[in-house]
Amino acid sequence: MTPLDQLLLASAITVALLLVLGHLRLAGPLAVVLYAVQLGLLLNTGIPADGPVAASLAITVLDQPLTWRYDALSWFFALITLGAAVLSAWYASGAWLARYLEEGHGPRLFHGALALNVFSMLLLLGSGDMVSLFVGWELVSWASFLLMAVGGRVAAQAALRYVTYAMGGAMAILGGMALLYSVAGSLEYAAVMAAVPDLTQGQLWALLLLFGGGFAVKMGLLPFHLWQAAAYAETPGPGSVFFGAISARMGLYALVVVLVQLIGLARLDALAVPFTFLDAKDLLAWVAALTIILPTYIALKQNDARYLLAWHGIGQGGYMLLGLTVGDALGTAGGLLHVFNYAATQAALLMAVFAVVHRTGTADLNKLGGLVTRMPLTFLVLLGGIISLAGLPPMAGFVSKWMVYRSLVTEGMPLLFLASVIGTLGTILSVYKLIHNIFLGQLRLEHEQVREAPLTMLVPMLMLVTLVFLAGFIPGPAIGWVAAVQQSVGLPVVQYTLGGIDDPRGSLDMIWVVGVLFAGFGIGALVFYGFGNRSRRVHQLDNYAGGHFLTADVRYQYSDNFYAGLMHLIGSWYRGSFLWLERALTAGVDFAAGGMAGLYRTVQPTVFVLGTAVLALAWVLL
Amino acid sequence: MSSVVLAIVLPLLAAFLLQPLDRVAPSLARLLGPATLLVAAWVLAETWLTRGSVPFTVALGGFAPPLGIVLYVDALALLFALAVPVFGLLFWPWSAAGEDRVREQALTLLLLAAAAGLALSGDLFNIYVFYELVAVASFGLAAAKGTARAQVAAVRYLLIGAFGSLLILIGIAIVYTKTGTLNLAQLAQLAPGTLDGPAGLAAFALMLIGFGVKAELFPVNTWVPEVYATAPARVSALLAGLISKLAVLVVIRLLVLVFDQPSAAQLMLVLGILGTLAGELAAWRARDFPRMLALSSIGQLGMVFIAFSIGGELGLLAALGVALHHLLVKPALFALSNRWSGSLEALAGAGRRSPLSAALFVLFALSLVGVPPLPGFWVKLLVLVGLAQQGEALHLAAMAVILAVTVLEANYLFRLALRLYRRADGAPEPPARLDLATAGLLGAGLIAVTLTITPVGEGLRQIAAQGADASVYVGTVFPQPVALRDGS
Repeated sequence: MTPLDQLLLASAITVALLLVLGHLRLAGPLAVVLYAVQLGLLLNTGIPADGPVAASLAITVLDQPLTWRYDALSWFFALITLGAAVLSAWYASGAWLARYLEEGHGPRLFHGALALNVFSMLLLLGSGDMVSLFVGWELVSWASFLLMAVGGRVAAQAALRYVTYAMGGAMAILGGMALLYSVAGSLEYAAVMAAVPDLTQGQLWALLLLFGGGFAVKMGLLPFHLWQAAAYAETPGPGSVFFGAISARMGLYALVVVLVQLIGLARLDALAVPFTFLDAKDLLAWVAALTIILPTYIALKQNDARYLLAWHGIGQGGYMLLGLTVGDALGTAGGLLHVFNYAATQAALLMAVFAVVHRTGTADLNKLGGLVTRMPLTFLVLLGGIISLAGLPPMAGFVSKWMVYRSLVTEGMPLLFLASVIGTLGTILSVYKLIHNIFLGQLRLEHEQVREAPLTMLVPMLMLVTLVFLAGFIPGPAIGWVAAVQQSVGLPVVQYTLGGIDDPRGSLDMIWVVGVLFAGFGIGALVFYGFGNRSRRVHQLDNYAGGHFLTADVRYQYSDNFYAGLMHLIGSWYRGSFLWLERALTAGVDFAAGGMAGLYRTVQPTVFVLGTAVLALAWVLL
Repeated sequence: MSSVVLAIVLPLLAAFLLQPLDRVAPSLARLLGPATLLVAAWVLAETWLTRGSVPFTVALGGFAPPLGIVLYVDALALLFALAVPVFGLLFWPWSAAGEDRVREQALTLLLLAAAAGLALSGDLFNIYVFYELVAVASFGLAAAKGTARAQVAAVRYLLIGAFGSLLILIGIAIVYTKTGTLNLAQLAQLAPGTLDGPAGLAAFALMLIGFGVKAELFPVNTWVPEVYATAPARVSALLAGLISKLAVLVVIRLLVLVFDQPSAAQLMLVLGILGTLAGELAAWRARDFPRMLALSSIGQLGMVFIAFSIGGELGLLAALGVALHHLLVKPALFALSNRWSGSLEALAGAGRRSPLSAALFVLFALSLVGVPPLPGFWVKLLVLVGLAQQGEALHLAAMAVILAVTVLEANYLFRLALRLYRRADGAPEPPARLDLATAGLLGAGLIAVTLTITPVGEGLRQIAAQGADASVYVGTVFPQPVALRDGS
């Protein structure tokens, strides 16, 4: 048995065990152990830098061979998948699951669905040809659908919307595969790569649009982003954490395989968009840039913490794709590294938010506030997370975003750079709203008795935020994986050190940056505590305004309509055009369907037979 | 003379014996139908096992073709002929009571006998006769419930069916005047010289429309939703699953042997595209479960026609795949719809009352949508690859239509699946044990095919290769070349 066989087998056993034993109380911890075993197997293999690890499993259906193997790219994504699985299962294993049971949900379905997601993702990541890629892709889609739908009601509606989009994407991919097969005569990667140089411009455009569009659906790239926020936010807590961390990145994985590995970025560069000065790569870059900006500013308007983060997830996917499309060593490394950094960040953030939901029962940003005194550790996690999400030092998010920015500047793409900075501005604004409305300001009376999150939820959260810090402080190891990935998919390889990037045009050493930063903090703290006035601690509800004592039931601090001033300026730019497009499309289909349904309600059906016969004869004679 | 004839004769005989026998020994009469079908299935299975896949003919009455009537038995015919008693047993009207029971069982036997005849016939005349028998039996069955709606639907069905038969007859008349024979093998030899003009094409078009009535071809399928919604669910299952496929088989034989010309394939392609589009769009709007299934079956049959218009071995393989897949899936769904026949709204919570049926529904829905690794995916892939290889505008349009309606299909099927699992009061009765067992058996079959997809695919490919080769057919019917009319 090869290491990959062991991994896939372990994952399949996990699914089976959790489906059988999922109803037991012990299933929570058991799931953690099972995912940890898989992670152990993966780590034990080590990143396959010298060439892929193959699986013994190979089948041939109707002359289509299906094979599975792991290269560095698969390994990198699998690492994040399994890491997210272990920690979200851990997060779920204790108090969260007990509450979930109390609410009358079945745990078996939840455990099974999560395990199925992990298994199908591992299968997708191991795909060794287009057919197994598609099989994995579909399995991931439907496993996600299952995990989304177990929430019921709103979640089920979001899941249906998701599955409609996902099927649209999958069908585009299937169409692309059929075209590819008719050109290359096979769907194996080697044959496809051999056929690419002979493709005409038209064929290449068709493939690019079909595959790019199809994979973009899962990434939530514009204009296929509408399903994602609700679907991810409404999924039961740990499932949402898992989705937020990795699920949408499966789209990026597939894009890397098809656009970078099989077709090649150079080929895209040479593919001009008719009637414009853009080429296909620019088009992709601008799609990425718009994906950064629009969803981030939609996130700004959200009043539900889960939705706010989920909308950000879409935007952050844009950074990854943007980095990749730059195509140089630094940019692609930044894009790929952001997958890892962002996964850890988003998981930590969502865990913190769901911990608040667990304790207070709401994620409504207008019904929270002042929780910092009640849940200080959760606050710390959220703080670390938003610093990383906004791309500020010393957290991990800074490193990857710096690399993307840097490459945009050095490769001469100032407009794209500007776009990503606008996106970052939106991120900073909205994460401030997030932390302020939950943790700062006035504590609500009903939250007086709220306690810190339970230990089973707190530990994985703290581990993640530590990871986010460490990956910012010493980014070397993670960049090392990314360099191996670049090597294996045929991209230029980034030069790195333990502390960051080694580049003659401008290096980054995070150890140094963080050192300076903390020295600054130290001096600041010295000044503040050494020379500042003595402060006196008062109870949080002990407040005065205008000389009047304020009782706890008096609201003196509001978080409603948080960015009123800003919205006065930019509010009219929110047009909801994509929603309008979606509705128009649905209405169009409904209209056509109505026409067809009318056809089957006709009273005189024989007329059709006669008419058809006459028409057919006319067709024959003409 | 081979025992294959028994597969047609025995059910036919039993159908006529049923009524008198019921007067004499009702308990025996109860068993007669299933026993006959078991024998028929056994005869066919035994033939397959002993003869392997080597095609052979049976000359009825001892007259050699082209003068005598001939049955043509190859793997394709056997496969469909075997499906007839098997599905007949699965969807046997056990539950009908009293006087209705005898009538319904007799009609079912008649339907099955004629269906087996359709699968095995080697000449157009016999095909026409059996097709008429199928039509008569199915009119009776469609009205079996006796409600006013059912009778109205049956009358409309009768009108369309009769009109379609007339068109077939005209088509056959044209063929006969042009060639002087109705034996398919001989037609295969004569067709290149005589039937490739507009007259031949007109004959094909008329026959396509005529047979299309049962094969749910667009636009002569307007009877479908009403009949399937009002007929007993088990009858709908037989009509949608089995009978439509046999009509398709007839069209396949005609196209391979007699009308092997691009225009004919193009006509099928266009009608197939329209059918797929119309069926799936209307199904998206359907308000009750049986209608939804009926309309979706129109869409699936449209895909069969699209697949077959690709032509050649690949086309036949793809069409066969789609047809057989639909044969497995749709009857099972109709079985589930027996108790779930109200409006879709009323099905909320039904899955919580009967988790197994809901799980089966999800399984079949996944396969219909074409989710790997279920068989539905592989047949869809075959169709798409075939279309892409043809690569003309119309084929690409067909591809786009299939892909687009799949999205619709996923939407309406899973809208229902989610509704089944919703928490709600007043959920409908769970499906009867018999229906559930039937659906469960077919579900198990679907999973078995999924697990053995490689050998099943190979087997189908061989069947398709044999079926797509007109020379095999001609060579089997006429081991020694016969003199053709023009004396060559």
